Amino acid sequence: MSCLLSVSDLRVEDGRGRELLSPLSFSLDAGQCLGIVGESGSGKSLTALSLCGLLPEPLQASGHLQLGDEPDAASSFDLSGDLSAVRGGGIALVFQDALASLHPLRSIGSQLRETLCVRRAMSRAQADVEARQLLSRMQLPGAMLSRLPHQVSGGQRQRMLLALALATQPRVLIADESTSALDPQVQASVLDLLRREVLGRGIGLIFIGHDLSVVASLADRLAVFHRGHLLEQGATASVIGQPAHDYTRQLIAAVRLPAAMPASPTSPLLSLRNLRVRYPGAERNALSVDALDIGRGEALALVGESGSGKSTLAKALLRLLPASDDGEIMLDGMRWDRLSGAALRRTRRRVQCVFQDPYASLDPRQRIDRLLAEPRRIHGRSTDRESLITLLAAVGLDADALVRYPHAFSGGQRQRIAIARALAAEPDLLIADEAVSALDARVRGEILALLNRLKAQRGLSLLFITHDMDAAAAVADRIAVMKDGVIVECAAAMALLEAPRHDYSRVLLAARPAPLSAQAG
Amino acid sequence: MPDTPLPRRFARLPANLRWSLLTLAALIVLALVAPWLSPFDPETPDWNAVLQPPSLASGHWFGTDAIGRDIFVRSFLGLRLSLLIGLLATAMALLIGLCWGAVAGYFGGRLERLLMRLLDVFSALPFLLLVILLLALFGRSFALLLVAIGGYVWIELARVVRAEAARLRGQPFVTAAVVAGASPWQVLRWHLLPNLLGLALVYASLIAANAVLIESFLGFLGLGVAEPASGLGSLLHDGSQELDQAPWTLLFPAVLLVATLACFQQLGDALRDAMDPRRQ
Repeated sequence: MSCLLSVSDLRVEDGRGRELLSPLSFSLDAGQCLGIVGESGSGKSLTALSLCGLLPEPLQASGHLQLGDEPDAASSFDLSGDLSAVRGGGIALVFQDALASLHPLRSIGSQLRETLCVRRAMSRAQADVEARQLLSRMQLPGAMLSRLPHQVSGGQRQRMLLALALATQPRVLIADESTSALDPQVQASVLDLLRREVLGRGIGLIFIGHDLSVVASLADRLAVFHRGHLLEQGATASVIGQPAHDYTRQLIAAVRLPAAMPASPTSPLLSLRNLRVRYPGAERNALSVDALDIGRGEALALVGESGSGKSTLAKALLRLLPASDDGEIMLDGMRWDRLSGAALRRTRRRVQCVFQDPYASLDPRQRIDRLLAEPRRIHGRSTDRESLITLLAAVGLDADALVRYPHAFSGGQRQRIAIARALAAEPDLLIADEAVSALDARVRGEILALLNRLKAQRGLSLLFITHDMDAAAAVADRIAVMKDGVIVECAAAMALLEAPRHDYSRVLLAARPAPLSAQAG
Repeated sequence: MPDTPLPRRFARLPANLRWSLLTLAALIVLALVAPWLSPFDPETPDWNAVLQPPSLASGHWFGTDAIGRDIFVRSFLGLRLSLLIGLLATAMALLIGLCWGAVAGYFGGRLERLLMRLLDVFSALPFLLLVILLLALFGRSFALLLVAIGGYVWIELARVVRAEAARLRGQPFVTAAVVAGASPWQVLRWHLLPNLLGLALVYASLIAANAVLIESFLGFLGLGVAEPASGLGSLLHDGSQELDQAPWTLLFPAVLLVATLACFQQLGDALRDAMDPRRQ
C-alpha cells in the first residue's frame, strides 16, 4: 500500500512558547482511516489545523509534512511555513459545524461550482454536471443544488460539506468531529458514506472524534490524544484489545457503561394522560402522548432523535409551555397542569431540570454560591454555607468552588454545578434534558454514575431524555421510545434492549456503533 | 481576576481604553479644580483687558473675551457644566433605557409591542422643535435642559437593551431560574439586569458623548442654561463672534469639547471591543 501522508515531529506552541502539542509523528496509507480520539482540549483539532496551516494567531506549528511516497521538493512541506499548496488538493478539512462552515447566503450549487471552477478549472457547464455527480455520490437529490444551507437538515448539510471537500479531489480528508452533532441514525449514514466514498476511493481519512465507539467503528488505526500528547497509536483492534495507557483504559471503560439497578415498582409520582401539544402554525401535534407514568424513585429514559418531541414533553412537564386544555398532568395527586401564579412557582420546587448545554445554563455573572442559593432562597430553605457545601459535595465538588464564577469550570464540572443547583430546590423529580450529550465520553460516564447515585441515595425520580440508547441503558429502569411526538414503545430497560417490539426501537438500537468488544475481536 | 490588585488590572487594559480613561479623568479633575487656580472671576467684566491674547505674564493663560473675562476660568467652568449635564443626562438615560428595554425584551408579547411603539413615537417627535418650545414656555432652566437631553438620548439604548434582553430570555440559564420558581421580577433583577448592565454601560459612554454634544449644540444656539452660567456651547458661540480678531476665544473651548467627545467615543469603542467575546 502506498503512503499518502506522513507527519514527523509536529509540535504546536502558543505565542509565549508554551507547548500545546508535544512532538508527534504519524503516517497514513491510501484508503486507510486514522482515528484520533481524546477529550476536548486534548490537541485533536490543533493537529488537524496545523496540517492545513490554519492555526489561529499566535499559535505556531513546527515539523515536517510529506505528501505521497517520494520525498521531493514539491510534496514535502515545512509545517511552520506556507501550506496553501497543501489545502484543497492535498488535504481537505471538514468541521463539525456545517452551518457555520457553509456560506449562509449562497446556494449549495453555487458554492460547489465555485470550488470546481477555481480548483479544477472547469467551465460552468462542466462544473454543473460534476456538482450533480458529487451530490448523487453523497446520496443527495440534484434539487439540493439550489438550496441554501439553512434550508436543509443537519445530516444533509454535513453531506454537502463532504461534497464540497471532495470537489477538490483531495488525497487526504480530515473530518474533525464532523458527525458528533448528528443523531445516531444520521451519524450512521454519514459514517457509511465516508466508508464508501472516501476510503472506498483510496482517499486517506483522518477521523477525529471524542466518542471512542464511533471512531473505532471506522478507523483502521487509532491515535489516543490526552492533554497535548499522543499517548499511543496502533491498529484499532490492538489499541482496544491491549491498551498501553491507563487513560486509554478509562476511555474504553467509559464506553462500556454500567447497567442501571432496577428500582422496585411504586405508585406514580407523576402521571400524564392524553397530553397534546401543537405549536402555533404547525400542521401536526408536536406531542401526542396518551399515557406516561413516572414512579417514585424510578428512572425513566425517553429516547428518540431530534425533533421527535422529547424536549417538548420536558417543557410540558416543567410547565414552560402555555397551558392547554388538552389532557392532564398529575403530580403527586395534584393537578400540576392547572396551577398558576404563586402556587405554580411554589410547586416548581418539586420538578427541576438539567439542560444540555452547561455553558449556557449557568448565569455567567453569578458566583456559584449565589447560583446555588437562589432556588433555596426562593423556597425558603436555609442558604448558609454549610448547606451549599453539602450540595457541592453531593455532586463531587469542593467547597472552594463556591466563590468562583461558572467560566472557571470545565464542561463536566459545570454540568455537576447545574445538577447541584437543580438539587438545591430539593426536588422530587429531576428532568435531565440531553444532559450528557454535550460531554466527552469519560465525563459522560462520570455524570451518569452521579445521576445513578443521586437516584439511589435520595429516592429521586428521574426523567432522562437522550438520543443515545447506551446512555439511556446506563441509568434507566424503563425506556420509552418516542417518534414524531408519539411514544411508540415503553418497556423495562433490559426487555427493550434485548427484545424491542417496535420497528423504530430496532432502528435506534441498530444505529448504535457496534460494541467495542466486537470491534476488537 | 477579582483578586488582582487594581493598578495591575488597569495596566492590562487595551491601550485606547487606558488612554481614554486617563484623559477623561484628567479633564474631569481639571473641570473641578482649574477655576480655582486662576485669580480671575468668570463673570466680572474687565474693560482694561478686552480681547487680550493668551499670555503667562498677564495671568490670562487662555486670553480674555470681548468684555475682558478670563477664558481659562470660563472654559473649565463651561466644561464642568457641560460634563455635569452630559453625565446626569446619561445616568437618566441609563436608568430609563435599561428598565424599559429589559421589561420589553423579557416580557415580550403585547407589553413589548406597546413599549416599542411608544419608543417609535418618541423618536419620531421633532426633538429640536420640542426643546425650543419647552425652553420658551418654561424658561431656560438646568432641570429642564437635563430632562430634554436625557429624554432624547435614552431611546437608542432602550432598543439595544431590548434586543439583548429578548436574546437572554431564550437562554437556558433564564429558563433554569423560571424552573427554580423565580418570579418574573426576580428573574429580571437577578439574571437579566446584571447581564444587560455591561452592554448598557458600553452604550452609555457613547450616549455621554452625544449628550455633551447636544448640550453644546443647544448652548451654541442660545438655548443652553441661562446666563451668566455658560456651557462650552455658549462659549463657542461667543468665540465665533470674535474669530477674526481673537481666535483664542474659540480655540480653547473648542479643544476642550473635542477632547471630551473624543474620549467618550474612544471609551465606548474600546469597551465594546473588550466586551465582544469574538475578540477574546
